[in-house]
Amino acid sequence: METLNFLMQGFAVALTPESIMFAIIGSILGTLIGALPGLGPANGVAILIPLAFSLGLSPTSSLILLTSVYAGAMYGGRISSILLNIPGDEPAMMTCLDGYPMALKGKAAEALAISAIASFIGSFIATIGLVILAPILAKFALKFGPSEYFALFALAFATLGGITGKNQFKTLMAASLGLMIASIGIDISSGVQRYTYNTLELFEGVDFIIAIVGLFAISELLFFIEKHAGEGLKTVTVNKLKLTMGDILKVLPTSIRGALLGFVAGVLPGAGASLGSFISYTLEKKLVDDKGTFGEGDARGIAAPEAGNNGAASGALVPMLTLGVPGSGTTAVLLAMLISLNVTPGPMLFTQNADLVWGVIAALFVGNLVLLLLNIPMIGIFVKLLSVPPKFLMPIVTLVASVGIYSVSHSALDLYFMVGFGVIGYILRKVDIPLVPVILGMLLGPEMEKSLRHALVLSDGEWSVLFNSGLSIGLWSVAILGLILPIIVGPIIRAKMAKSKKVVAS
Amino acid sequence: MRLNDRVFGMFMLILAVVYGLEATKFPEPFGGSESVGPETFPIILSFFLGISAIYMMLKPDPDEAWPVTPMLLELSGIVLAILAFAWAIEPLGFIPAAIAIVSYLAWRMGANVKMCLILGVTSSITIFLLFNNVLELALPLGLLEL
Repeated sequence: METLNFLMQGFAVALTPESIMFAIIGSILGTLIGALPGLGPANGVAILIPLAFSLGLSPTSSLILLTSVYAGAMYGGRISSILLNIPGDEPAMMTCLDGYPMALKGKAAEALAISAIASFIGSFIATIGLVILAPILAKFALKFGPSEYFALFALAFATLGGITGKNQFKTLMAASLGLMIASIGIDISSGVQRYTYNTLELFEGVDFIIAIVGLFAISELLFFIEKHAGEGLKTVTVNKLKLTMGDILKVLPTSIRGALLGFVAGVLPGAGASLGSFISYTLEKKLVDDKGTFGEGDARGIAAPEAGNNGAASGALVPMLTLGVPGSGTTAVLLAMLISLNVTPGPMLFTQNADLVWGVIAALFVGNLVLLLLNIPMIGIFVKLLSVPPKFLMPIVTLVASVGIYSVSHSALDLYFMVGFGVIGYILRKVDIPLVPVILGMLLGPEMEKSLRHALVLSDGEWSVLFNSGLSIGLWSVAILGLILPIIVGPIIRAKMAKSKKVVAS
Repeated sequence: MRLNDRVFGMFMLILAVVYGLEATKFPEPFGGSESVGPETFPIILSFFLGISAIYMMLKPDPDEAWPVTPMLLELSGIVLAILAFAWAIEPLGFIPAAIAIVSYLAWRMGANVKMCLILGVTSSITIFLLFNNVLELALPLGLLEL
């Protein structure tokens, strides 16, 4: 009941004209970011953060804007999967399996519409899940002491590579690097300068927003240039939409199952959207594919992974909002924005900033509705944008990213740092070191160190305090499992995913 | 060849050692040392970075190809261009600097010269007007101020 009251208050925030405007702008921008080649959701959100910041938007407005972008990017990612058989991002890969064959049959518009509806159902159900689960988890998390938090942060890093992670040591290296960057600056609890070498600019530490934009946007530009990928994709046209109520009803059960599975995958550490869409596709194939039409353009084969990955996207917000521990690259970027707006995520968020949290949750509902309404009539425009060649797009994206960084503090030095991080990001990607743990390390570093110190100060330097409650032992065990499991089952799942990828290619 | 990981791992090992040694040299905080000081966490980190660096050197993954020399020069050119743009925003002003960088990037990505200039001029002026007038974030005018 309490939850419902809060949700109603949330809608009061989300339905103000200002919030609706930000939700609409965010949805459109998000779909563009998802649809345009070369701009992943994490990248897109990262570029927008400094803009939201320097515009002086309130935390609520910025978060509504960026969560709508996040939701929109999930919608946009499927457009190129269906029309061109090129997944916009990793979770959209499974959508290619039936989406592209359906488009080849001349039913591209139907495929896009079905995927929009399934995405809507996926997000909608998962947002309901978020409303139910988040307050419970937040209440539970109030029991966490510093040693539990330390274990939780360790868990977040251990599972970040995901169940399909290839090289756990590279994830570990990336996380250490991120945490090390976070340690630069004046130490908050003792006032000692660390790794600043008396450079004034480093006293406050390295600004993670600058690092994120550099790591993502600038390294992406360098990769585009190296691969000579400036020409872009071929132009496609879409037929006129002929969708009946019957078609929608046919994919409804599949979408609902996909949404639930996706939500669970999103909440669990280490699973994420890719696995969400993969599981829901495989399950539906086993469950309803009696005629063997999956993989040949079955509408249900589009609905399942789309509902799954959108469900997972909303599910991933649960650990981010309640524990302050994001499970994916994009939620990590959203966390970066919360921290830079001086909002501390975690269990206290639900009591101290109830307006903000519930406003954002309500805005997710509004944003999803906006996305559904936008996507069906405006799909033609988004499709046209798909054929904008990156050689025109990437320079402008670089310009917008730089202007955003510049306008935060009007200093050219920040831009030099951004370029520096771009070069680092390029090198890290070349040696196959994931960037997301680096960013997560920069974000969580101060909190992680603080909880370690609190725990040890309370215990008078006794290290066993880190393992002395049932809860922290549980968290550590999950963390260790998260490190070891991918080594055992990772190759099996990767092989399965690769097999389905081959089906797409052939 | 599995050289990338070996070389990178070696650099990371050096970084881990240097980072860890630096941490032991932090001045003692005011009020005497405690069981956990500013150096505790960094030392743990250097340990983890060290382990993963050694693993990377012992069991390297197959290499991703590095660009050949002309491409490296090209990429360095891009990096220098963005740095030059960053430097030029204030003395030259946003519009000239942005026209230059957008045109240069588009040209290096394969657009023809005419399209580059059109793109550079229109995008720079649009963004300038958008930021200055709609979003009210002042960008420097520079040379155009006169």
